[in-house]
Amino acid sequence: MKVDPKTLIQDCHLNLCIQCGTCTGACPIKFRSPLNMRRLVRETYLNSNLPQILKRPELWACTTCSTCSLRCPAGVKNVEMIMGIRSILARQGEVPSTIRDALENTLLHGNPWGRFRDRRADWAKDLGIKIVGEEKTEILFYIGCTPSYDPRAQNISKALVKIFQKVGLDFGILGKKETCCGNEIRRMGEQTLFKKLAKDNLALFQKSGLKKMITISPHCYNTFKNDYPESGIEVLHYTQLLAEWIGSGKLNWSKKLEMRVTYQDPCSLGKQNKIFEEPRKVLSSIPGLDYVEMERSRERSLCCEGGGGRMWAEGGTTGSRNGEVRVKEALSSGANIISTSCPFCLLTLEDAIKISGRANQIVVKDISELVAEAIEVV
Amino acid sequence: MNIIVCVKRIPKTAEADIFIDKDGKDIKKDNLVFTLNDWDGYAVREAVLLKEKHDGTVTVLTIGPEESKEVLTRCLAMGADRALRIEAPESADANLISKILHQAIKNEPFDLILTGVQAEDDGWGQVGVALARRVGLPHAAIVNHIEIDGGKALVKRELEGGIEEVVELKLPAVLTIQTGINEPKYVSLAAILEAEDKEMKETTLEQIGMGEKEPLDVTIDQVSFPPAGKMAEILKGNPEEVVLKLTEILRKKKG
Repeated sequence: MKVDPKTLIQDCHLNLCIQCGTCTGACPIKFRSPLNMRRLVRETYLNSNLPQILKRPELWACTTCSTCSLRCPAGVKNVEMIMGIRSILARQGEVPSTIRDALENTLLHGNPWGRFRDRRADWAKDLGIKIVGEEKTEILFYIGCTPSYDPRAQNISKALVKIFQKVGLDFGILGKKETCCGNEIRRMGEQTLFKKLAKDNLALFQKSGLKKMITISPHCYNTFKNDYPESGIEVLHYTQLLAEWIGSGKLNWSKKLEMRVTYQDPCSLGKQNKIFEEPRKVLSSIPGLDYVEMERSRERSLCCEGGGGRMWAEGGTTGSRNGEVRVKEALSSGANIISTSCPFCLLTLEDAIKISGRANQIVVKDISELVAEAIEVV
Repeated sequence: MNIIVCVKRIPKTAEADIFIDKDGKDIKKDNLVFTLNDWDGYAVREAVLLKEKHDGTVTVLTIGPEESKEVLTRCLAMGADRALRIEAPESADANLISKILHQAIKNEPFDLILTGVQAEDDGWGQVGVALARRVGLPHAAIVNHIEIDGGKALVKRELEGGIEEVVELKLPAVLTIQTGINEPKYVSLAAILEAEDKEMKETTLEQIGMGEKEPLDVTIDQVSFPPAGKMAEILKGNPEEVVLKLTEILRKKKG
């Protein structure tokens, strides 16, 4: 998307807004920040005081979950508007300091966490994984920044590798050459950096002769699928692959998991890409597992607040985190496990459990971890 | 007000694995990423803020190889007007560096020279004050606040123990800038790409009237890792075992 303050109104269809307030009603952070989407759309449309609008810290509270724009009956592109405003701010250099660090880190080190590039594939040591470019394979397992570096999220990467190996999938990883996908970068407003990442990544994928890629994070999936130029490489979220294997009988369960499990729909997978069935199919196929829904699920699922650059933002919100609300909802569904299929959901929900002192009542697991346990590869 | 800012391109080492080069005189740098020295970033930002207040120009200056152009481009994207790179081999000799800088700016008009307090890589912290001495100008080091009043600069210096010293200097002067003096702005990639079109000059030691082989007062003989301490004990085992051992140790130490 091109961002031009002069055409922001037309580009984001702000003129179509009928001020019904559906966006504000849908917003998962409306109780947590002064962000009022209906008012922001109107004010940006009137464009009378853009410099004043740009000064508002709540512009960084939006998680870009997209519930507002998906529910908008008039077709207003609210999230594109937020990204557009953020891109004006990024161009002016006016971004919060922690966001600034994340963006600078991505340009320098290829990941927003500022970690050393040479250590990106340390988690994969001794797992006997092919490196794309060094050995031949047509399927890329794209790990992503958080599952590469975060010790908790690395568990997902390892679990999936073991599942893939058990099934006999011929795949490879990019190792040290893997670079940030740019999904969060684009949502933090750094359009030019996003374009550079997309161009460099695509060039690397195409040079390596890849036909298919599997992502861990729904955020990576979303950007490869929807924001990157068409490349002919099929993009899959890992839950799609696991669901397919269950259908074809490739996954052989060997252990019963006697647990009651609910599922947090990641916004980038569920709401934004309509992948609701596959994760549920995987979970309900695990023997012994009692699957329960939370009261709000699928399109109505509550955002964990990990998207839109919020993993790197500090403050700007007050009151109980959505993660805490979600943990309570999971507990009232009777679950003792909240499963998810997104590293950001995993981390935000785990934090929520810790700060609300409920670690003895409920734990968070990625779907891949449950599957790995049920086929006994971990 | 014309301001000259001296900057340096440094390798980022905070998260990196560090190895020592074969000859033992430096660390290996081929797997490291390079960027603008943090202190210099604050100095450039401060110069741009002063320019916004008092008009004038900001010129950035670096000594280094071809690759150093990338930090000059960054400075131009931050709001500097002109940039100059002096091609010269890397040196640990602050006296020589100050001599090169002096030769390069001899014919430039300026009211203020800013440098970072020190560089992230070698941390000598000498170039700014050595340059002041060579140019024959008043200086203040570790500056965290600047006010310009006519032909004078009123600056605050950060001293040990949380003490601040207020110094008045007659302009022109040399100031070495401390981190935290301002809030750095994000430098977007779009701004960096645009800055590639701004004026950047390059010169050599010969062109500024210096020989390729200047006498050195300081050379690095050897670099080494600090010896491993004896007090540290690494606890091994799974998290539960480690926590158990740790609480045991803490309990004993408390007594």
